[in-house]
Amino acid sequence: MVQRHVFGSVFALESAIAGFVFLVVLALLGHALLRRRAARGTPVTGQPERPTLEKYYVGVLTAFAVFLVAWTAWQNHREHRPPRSTPVTVDVTGFQWCWKFSYPQSPVKRSVTGTCRGRDLPTLVVPAGRPVRLRLTAKDVIHSLWIPDLRYKMDAFPDHVNTFTLTLDHEGRWRGRCAEFCGERHYAMDFWIKAVPPDEYDRFLHGQPLAGAAA
Amino acid sequence: MTVAPPEDKEATGGRPVAPSGWLGWATSTDHKRIGLLTVATSLVLLLLMGVLALLMRGQLAQPDEHFLDPLTYNQVFTIHGSGMIYMVMTPFAIGMGVYLVPLQIGAPGIAAPRLTLLGYWLYVLGAVMMLSGFATPNGAHADGWFSYPPMADKEHSPSIGSDLWIGGVMLATTGVIIMGWAVLWTVLRRRARGMTMLRLPVFCWSMIATCLMVIGAFPALLAALTLLAVGRADASVFASNVWNIGYQHLFWFYGHPVVYVMFFPFLAAVAEVLAVFSGRRFFGYKGTALSLLVFAAISMSVWGHHMFATGQATNDYYSLTSIALLVPAGVEYFGMVGTVLGGRLRFPVPMLFALAFIPQFLIGGLTGIMIGTPVIDYHVTDSYFIVAHLHYVLFAGSAFGLFAAVYYWFPKVTGVMLGERLGRLHFWLLVIGTNLTFLPMFALGYLGMPRRVATYATFDGFAWLNLLASIGAGVLALAMTAFTVNVLWTLRKAALGRCRPAGDNPWDAYTLEWATTSPPPRLNFAPGRPVPPVTSFAPLLDLRQREGGTPAAKEASGS
Repeated sequence: MVQRHVFGSVFALESAIAGFVFLVVLALLGHALLRRRAARGTPVTGQPERPTLEKYYVGVLTAFAVFLVAWTAWQNHREHRPPRSTPVTVDVTGFQWCWKFSYPQSPVKRSVTGTCRGRDLPTLVVPAGRPVRLRLTAKDVIHSLWIPDLRYKMDAFPDHVNTFTLTLDHEGRWRGRCAEFCGERHYAMDFWIKAVPPDEYDRFLHGQPLAGAAA
Repeated sequence: MTVAPPEDKEATGGRPVAPSGWLGWATSTDHKRIGLLTVATSLVLLLLMGVLALLMRGQLAQPDEHFLDPLTYNQVFTIHGSGMIYMVMTPFAIGMGVYLVPLQIGAPGIAAPRLTLLGYWLYVLGAVMMLSGFATPNGAHADGWFSYPPMADKEHSPSIGSDLWIGGVMLATTGVIIMGWAVLWTVLRRRARGMTMLRLPVFCWSMIATCLMVIGAFPALLAALTLLAVGRADASVFASNVWNIGYQHLFWFYGHPVVYVMFFPFLAAVAEVLAVFSGRRFFGYKGTALSLLVFAAISMSVWGHHMFATGQATNDYYSLTSIALLVPAGVEYFGMVGTVLGGRLRFPVPMLFALAFIPQFLIGGLTGIMIGTPVIDYHVTDSYFIVAHLHYVLFAGSAFGLFAAVYYWFPKVTGVMLGERLGRLHFWLLVIGTNLTFLPMFALGYLGMPRRVATYATFDGFAWLNLLASIGAGVLALAMTAFTVNVLWTLRKAALGRCRPAGDNPWDAYTLEWATTSPPPRLNFAPGRPVPPVTSFAPLLDLRQREGGTPAAKEASGS
């Protein structure tokens, strides 16, 4: 779940910086509100400009922007590094208003879909601990595959294939959603992503039902 | 020309006397009337769009609600977003420029007044056309203010409301482009003697930057909508990915600069208000003017940050340009906070809105840097985090600037002050309502609630945060009621002659519009009240300091 980890560190740092800047501005503003009231008889002070101070300030801002751009770009590349082992491939097709997950490496050409109505949500089954390459496309309009717990999404376009790789570290089941507005039942276009042990995944590819839940 | 007519000599210029009454307003080439019509029209539409927002918050207050069905909900959020951006904030921003810029530069009128009037009527026509979609059998357009194909093509959106939306937005945008040209032309070519570029008020500088973006970026929207219209006529166009992603590039080339079009004039209104009620000239004037131009220039290169998740944009590049914006934005904060820090603060209603703008817009700006970071954006784009961010920018920021401007310039425009007590009530309700509505949305987006969903399930766990947001929307409705009552009541009292005249310069302000009568005469400055000498960007402050009549005289005068 490299996306989640990268997001976590970048989000934490940027939130801390944003919080700090916000508090500094709030403190300056609070100081002015308390100490600079006309009712207290405060005179106007200060120069109309402080060009030297402003130049240093712009220098600091620029240096900070350079750091932020470089560091976050590096994190972005870290997130998109090619996987160490050969990934399994799943073809994902978004359509109005549900998903289809096809397994090109399955000997029986296994494919899963649903209606996204009530409890009939399709489940994207992947092996835990192995990289999974999702090839995203859409049948009709643009959709977007979002797995909030993975902190990642990517759009699915018709007439185009987008690819990204994810690895789920442990077994479990997470909610996925459509994030791109796609019409009447956009709100209902949810799915499950389920990470299973590798041997169970192999059995799944051969067309056997999953152990346990009927999900 | 031997005998001068008693009045309106310049106005008629020997031609028949202009019509009076409503026809006089509808056909006026007076920039003040056109500006006022634009601003008033967008305020009426603001109330209407607010009603649509209340409908949405009603629907989302509880999980699995059936107050609005999804098809209606999609129309409501589409027209709310389109209306607020195309028909309220943008026209209001330009309308303020139409009204104020000629006054602030000491000009008797706007350049191209008849074209400006045409621009206004194109805007009105566009707004009516877009809204008329609600009267068609399948309802209004329902594909969002961005209307990506192929969702917005004929096959997936067959409703005639979509065609009306395209036409309406194109007309209104054309009108705004025309008005933008007129304002830019005016500020560049119609300045009074002595009004050099570096003596322009901050507001005029903001209009220069704004109109440059209007001229540079808005035609891209017309191109995008033309593409959409062609694609609705010929279904094969959007079968190809290149036109789908091409539309997004065209759209966002417009769609990001427009955010700053809806921001700069309000930021500058806040700057003017802060300076006046701090009793000093705006701090760091040159830096702010330069930062506005840099901001406008960079804004033309950031559009791809709306497309980080498309997999079809150069994310590193757009992240670079987007994050670079923190430099000019930081300079503007330097000016605003610096002005207040050395000031002598008074707290009438416009100042309250201007002060609240500073921290509230900052929340929008700081989260803007976060979502300009691709790694963060992958998670939060198209979620409620973005809804929160954009409303902090446009509502907690720009709309507070808008209200600061309304309360500040109301006495100049009408000759009477808006009610102080209702104004304060409006302010406090608006602060509470704004933060109660939009702060929970950051959390909702982070937790996984997508945008533009007509409802959500109970087990999603979004219920109580949504309920808080909906309660906040109710408080906003109360705030806007207080504002509406205040405006209507004040105007009614003024019409009955029961208001004390506000005087020409009730706030002890600095810029030229305060040197003429309230409201200003047809040609802005009468022979008896000529344009005063322009010695800096705060000419009336210079005048008072030379006379030594105000406490501000202690401040070192800058030029």
